[in-house]
Amino acid sequence: MTEEKVIEIENLTKMYGNNVGVKDLNLAVYKGEIVGFLGPNGAGKTTTIRSCLALIAKTAGEITIFGLDSHRDAVAIREKTGYLPGDFGLISSVKVSSYLKYLLSLRGCGSTEKMVSLAKRLELDLSRKTNELSKGNKLKVGIVQALMADPDLIIMDEPTSGLDPLMKQEFYRILREEKKEGKTVFMSSHVLADVERVCDRVAIIRKGQVKVVEEIQALQEKTGKVLEVEFGDPFTIDEFKLEGVSGLQQDNDRIVLTVNENLDGVIEVVSKHRILNMNLKTYSLEQLFLKYYAQGDSERGDA
Amino acid sequence: MMVGRIVYMELRTGWKGLLIFGLLILVISAGIVQIFPTFRDSLTEELEGANKVSLELPEEQEGNITLSWKSMEKATSYMVLEDSRLSMVTAKLKYTGAETSITFEKDFEEKRYYAVMAILNETSESLLVGIATTEKGENPFQELLQNPVYKGLTGGRNINMLEAKGFIALEFFSWWWMLAGLFIAYLSVSVVASDFENKHMDMLLSTPVSRRQYLIEKFSAMTIVALLVILVATAGLASGLTSINALNEFPPHIVFQSLIGFLPFLMVIVSVGMFTAALFQKVRAGMGLTFAFVFAEFFLYAFGGLSKSLEWMKTISIFNYWDYSSVIIDDFFKAGDFILLTILAITLLIIGILIFEKKDIPA
Repeated sequence: MTEEKVIEIENLTKMYGNNVGVKDLNLAVYKGEIVGFLGPNGAGKTTTIRSCLALIAKTAGEITIFGLDSHRDAVAIREKTGYLPGDFGLISSVKVSSYLKYLLSLRGCGSTEKMVSLAKRLELDLSRKTNELSKGNKLKVGIVQALMADPDLIIMDEPTSGLDPLMKQEFYRILREEKKEGKTVFMSSHVLADVERVCDRVAIIRKGQVKVVEEIQALQEKTGKVLEVEFGDPFTIDEFKLEGVSGLQQDNDRIVLTVNENLDGVIEVVSKHRILNMNLKTYSLEQLFLKYYAQGDSERGDA
Repeated sequence: MMVGRIVYMELRTGWKGLLIFGLLILVISAGIVQIFPTFRDSLTEELEGANKVSLELPEEQEGNITLSWKSMEKATSYMVLEDSRLSMVTAKLKYTGAETSITFEKDFEEKRYYAVMAILNETSESLLVGIATTEKGENPFQELLQNPVYKGLTGGRNINMLEAKGFIALEFFSWWWMLAGLFIAYLSVSVVASDFENKHMDMLLSTPVSRRQYLIEKFSAMTIVALLVILVATAGLASGLTSINALNEFPPHIVFQSLIGFLPFLMVIVSVGMFTAALFQKVRAGMGLTFAFVFAEFFLYAFGGLSKSLEWMKTISIFNYWDYSSVIIDDFFKAGDFILLTILAITLLIIGILIFEKKDIPA
């Protein structure tokens, strides 16, 4: 990661009539990083992303991408940007390969090499017709088209909602490879677990404003994981009063605790007992938000 | 970014629909000509022995025009129709009565055409028996006056139904605009509005295609479709004329010229379709408005012919600038009208682009 800003959003405001889309939003994405744009539904993620691509006109503020004005130089920006819309349709009744080649040609890119390799990795059948695709496969078409022309900036709106766990893993691998090649990725999600595995930084948006931007590691340290274990033999809560553990709760045979660090120490204690069931969960975005960032914000979240 | 890719994709994905419509046009245009010989024979038979009224050319004197004709046996009254166009589609009644001569003040500058109809009291049938123009000297209508089966002219129009071109002008061109015009209106709205409705616009406009290029390419694709429709209709009429051996009477280049004048007319419809699609971003709303536009233009033209005070209506109708009868009868292609409609189409397209560039793409 360098200090070169690829996306710079300053005081972005977008109104839909009297409704606020985003208000005075500020955010910077640097070259070579993967930034997760996290927020509940309706927080303004899609509005921000679509303003960046000049698909909607901003009410106020500035967006600069590659040092160019997002609206005035929209075409020049799009030459170097791949985009996966959050909700999209395809041209009906054409082969997936023809459709993708068409989009490639609109980008003035003749090589189909990357398109073919991405499709193979995501197990997308290029010979299928676009109108025969399942929701998941349609999403794969969207992912392939966003990446296939080898853009310097990749913007994705909820890329993982709809991918099965194995495909998610492959998708994360692809993004890491892109990052290695110096590409910049800006992706939105409403699920923390979906972005924490691949992102360098996370920007949390709520009610149209970026409330916090954090390195993913710092965020993970702050939040920890919730471990829930059901035992088949007696145990005492004191056994789990370890370093890096908080929020201990006992409920008959079950124990719930938050692990911020020292997970191996916790597992060591757990393994001394007979385990009936065990579950390790990431904080949900809303829990995270309410726990760490909502001080002074008495309103409840909208998702 | 490559120019022409959107045009190519439109034509590629729409070829099946175009093929079906093209075949329909081909069958209708070639088929309608086949009816002509039968129609001509039966009408000629019916008209044999029909009386002919001898009509003098209008005389102009001190700002007055006198039109006279010879009295016809059995005729009790006469009707005089006036129109500023050869086709007389919008003719208005100038006179009705038993006199065989009328004089009226000249209250116009441009050319006027007249048709005189004699009303026969025996049959109560109104028959058009004479026609003249305010122009002196030889003109196409003079020839009609020599025709013994002159009665073949119907509906106040000065086109001879007993000739292949007259028949085609009345039986083909009178509804052709509606078929081709509404087809093009439907396509033009849907190729743009469906990209909004199918949520494909985000995908297209995230490539280095500007909104201007997008709309210009869609416009170009539709102009190509309009041209293809015209070429197919030309081929259909020409092949039909060949099969009835009437090609010398109505040569293919005249058929083509009469139809090609329709191209900028269709281009205006394309522009209006894209304009409404960009504005409302919905197929149904765009379609309704574009269809309404086409019919409103038609009614403006029709009402504009009803009286002199309403004549301005005609001048703002696009129908006024596609004068196929001028090509068919006078062999005169109105290039000025062609250019005027082309400029109008491009102007509307530019307005459509300006609107599209300002609008948010709905998520």
